[in-house]
Amino acid sequence: MGLTQVSRNPGVFLKKKWRYLTLRQKLTALFLLTAVIILAVNLYMFALINRMTGRVEEVYISNVSLNELSGALDRVQESMEEYLNTKSSDAMEDYYRSEQAYRELMEGLNTRTTDNQMLLTEKNIHGLSESYLVLAEEAIQAKRGRNVEKYGQLYEDADLLYNEIHTFIYSLNNAQFKDNSRNYQVLLDSLRYMELISIVVLFLVLLGNISLIVVSTRSVTMPLHQLARAAGEVSGGNFDIGRIPVQSMDEVGIVTNTFNEMVENIRNYIEQLRVTMERENRLKERELMMQSHLKDAQLKYLQAQINPHFLFNTLNAGVQLAMMEEADKTGRFLENVAEFFRYNVRKNDEDAALREEIHLVDNYVYILNVRFAGEILFTKEVDESLLNVRVPSMILQPLVENAFNYGIRNISWTGRIELSVYQKGGEICISIWDNGAGMEQERIDQVLSGRAQGAETDAGSNGVGMKNVMERLRLYFHDRARLSIFSEGKNTGTEVLIIIPEKADGELESEDDRCTE
Amino acid sequence: MDQRKRMVFVFCLAVILGCLVFLWQRFYELSRSDEREFEIYDRHYVMITGREDSDFWDRVYESAQEEGKERGVYVERFGEDLSVKYSRNELLRLAMQASVDGIIVPGDEEEETIALLQEVVEQGIPVVNVLQDSTGSIRQCFVGNNSYNLGQDYGRQILELLAEEEDDNPREGEPADVLVLVDETRMDTSQNLILLGIRETLEQAETEVGKVAVETSPVDNSRSFSSEESIRDIFLNSERLPDILVCLSAVHTRCAYQAAVDYNKVGTVQLLGYYDSDAILDAVAKKILYSTIAPDTEQMGRLCVQALDEYVETGYTNNYMAVDTHLIRAEEAERLVGE
Repeated sequence: MGLTQVSRNPGVFLKKKWRYLTLRQKLTALFLLTAVIILAVNLYMFALINRMTGRVEEVYISNVSLNELSGALDRVQESMEEYLNTKSSDAMEDYYRSEQAYRELMEGLNTRTTDNQMLLTEKNIHGLSESYLVLAEEAIQAKRGRNVEKYGQLYEDADLLYNEIHTFIYSLNNAQFKDNSRNYQVLLDSLRYMELISIVVLFLVLLGNISLIVVSTRSVTMPLHQLARAAGEVSGGNFDIGRIPVQSMDEVGIVTNTFNEMVENIRNYIEQLRVTMERENRLKERELMMQSHLKDAQLKYLQAQINPHFLFNTLNAGVQLAMMEEADKTGRFLENVAEFFRYNVRKNDEDAALREEIHLVDNYVYILNVRFAGEILFTKEVDESLLNVRVPSMILQPLVENAFNYGIRNISWTGRIELSVYQKGGEICISIWDNGAGMEQERIDQVLSGRAQGAETDAGSNGVGMKNVMERLRLYFHDRARLSIFSEGKNTGTEVLIIIPEKADGELESEDDRCTE
Repeated sequence: MDQRKRMVFVFCLAVILGCLVFLWQRFYELSRSDEREFEIYDRHYVMITGREDSDFWDRVYESAQEEGKERGVYVERFGEDLSVKYSRNELLRLAMQASVDGIIVPGDEEEETIALLQEVVEQGIPVVNVLQDSTGSIRQCFVGNNSYNLGQDYGRQILELLAEEEDDNPREGEPADVLVLVDETRMDTSQNLILLGIRETLEQAETEVGKVAVETSPVDNSRSFSSEESIRDIFLNSERLPDILVCLSAVHTRCAYQAAVDYNKVGTVQLLGYYDSDAILDAVAKKILYSTIAPDTEQMGRLCVQALDEYVETGYTNNYMAVDTHLIRAEEAERLVGE
């Protein structure tokens, strides 16, 4: 199966094989391939040139063999003459030997009828030689038989034919020499062409090899380039690069894979770090805002009360003075005022118990009643179990102050303020109700959206306005506290209702902290 | 830019490959050109010709060779390429000793030739005489003109000429001189037959044209260039100058008309020629020659090979095969020269 696939698509097979070679193997294979190509081409060219030079050497070989033939014929004639002259057995032996040699050479001659004139002349020489040898043999036989007249005539005939054969050989030799000279020239020309071809072929092979090397080394170095570029990006701080494609499974491929994983891991780690830092930042931000709002409230409070310590000490002095003069009412009043300021001095912390807040409201209402000759009817309905609930400090007193200032201060009937704290549906409700001037819905919306201007800067306000209270509730209870204002219109009274979760903010925060850790 | 670079690269590659293919082609052609290409034939005939009238013999040989190729026979022009110029009889003997399959040779009536032909035929080599016959030999066939007919043709031409002359310039009882150039060395009967043909034709018409004296002038052919000298001698000796000069060979025709031009005798001596080479046709067209009689060389060559083949294949052949002749006058010569 594998074999048939290989034979069906060797290109794909080689490509696959190439992918899995190591760098060393790839470079070695490349070098070997180019070297083998050059070697093969050179060998082929050498073989061709060798063949051509071989043919150049053979060009005049036909002339050489004709000269040999001519020489052999001479020897036959000489030995025949010698025998006819001397009748010696040596000459006879010589004759037969030379005749044999000549016959052997004659075998090399063409005997077929062709339209090539030179070959045809060879055939004629062959025929004439046969006749000559017959004449020579007859002459020798006649000499042996002492037939003087006959061998004399035969010798003359043979001699004539001998000369004529020479003429034929000479003419053929000339023709062949001309032909061979032309061939020699042709061979020289083709050798020159061969030279040119060799140069062109070598040039082509060189070009091919260069292209092969360029393409192959590019396939080796391209992943390295990509890797280097990606590494440069990463070192510049940009981790947002895609995965580098892995083209081969050599060392570069392995490094590329590892690099891809490393970048991925770094990216994940950075992401985690970012999320953690973001959460921490959010927490820090919230804390800072909380502090900033508190500071803001305190600042405004201090601006209003200038120096509570001084006032507080002064008021204490007033209390002692009233006790010495036995002015009990004055003493109690001063005591209330002193407590009111003390709370403010003491309550630098973020939150307070509901009990303390309510006590502050009591103090405040007492002071107001003294100031406004008991105009205010303040009642409270508090679930005792909720007195220890922690709330942001300074949230009730501003609301009561608002109820007095904007609700009942300028009304003709007896003003009432009611504070109730109760539990409802797992939530704690703090309600401050007055029977005063009431509010239009438009005004309510303005106040709740924080668009109401001027309220916090009124002369009668201690400056800790509704907006501040709302912000601090939101921050303290993580948006789980709600503040609502209810009024049915003018002179129908107003209720400000704060609904807070049962769990204290401190506990939530600690839970949050745990979570983030 | 990338695309352009690629185009340039591909173009260069194509040019280099083109050069390579061209060079390879040249190299291949050159390396092949020295390889002898030849065909093999069944039989080997030789044609032995005289050294004269090479143009005439070339034509005969060409047609013989062509006919031979069609029949699987190669006809060799024997002795042509040899460094020594052998005589016809020497070549005949050499061809016999080289054991060829057939010989085409112009004959004569010399004893030596007849004996040699006898020897050749006895060796089993068929012989065809061409143009000139050795009537006394045992050669297989003679291919040539019917000499008597040829003579009659010449006779008719002479009569035509005399009639024209009589109209222009009446001789008033003076006999007209006709000189026939004969080859001194030729011992065959064909010349005699031609003369007979001429004489008989003229005699039959003597009453119409008056007396005609037909004489022969032997042309010495024994040495090279001697025939030209002999013919010039006729023109130099104004007493011997005939009214009509009849040439029986292509060489004599050329020599005669050249001499007539050189000695300003065109019109004074009327020339009747033999053969239709370009130069002779040109002379006829220019009316230097009155007319010329051309043998059908193509037919001659073919018939020779056919006769030999017939003999080799069947053992016998016609003793005589006639070759047609063709009379060419000025108008036709003009047309042929134009072609």
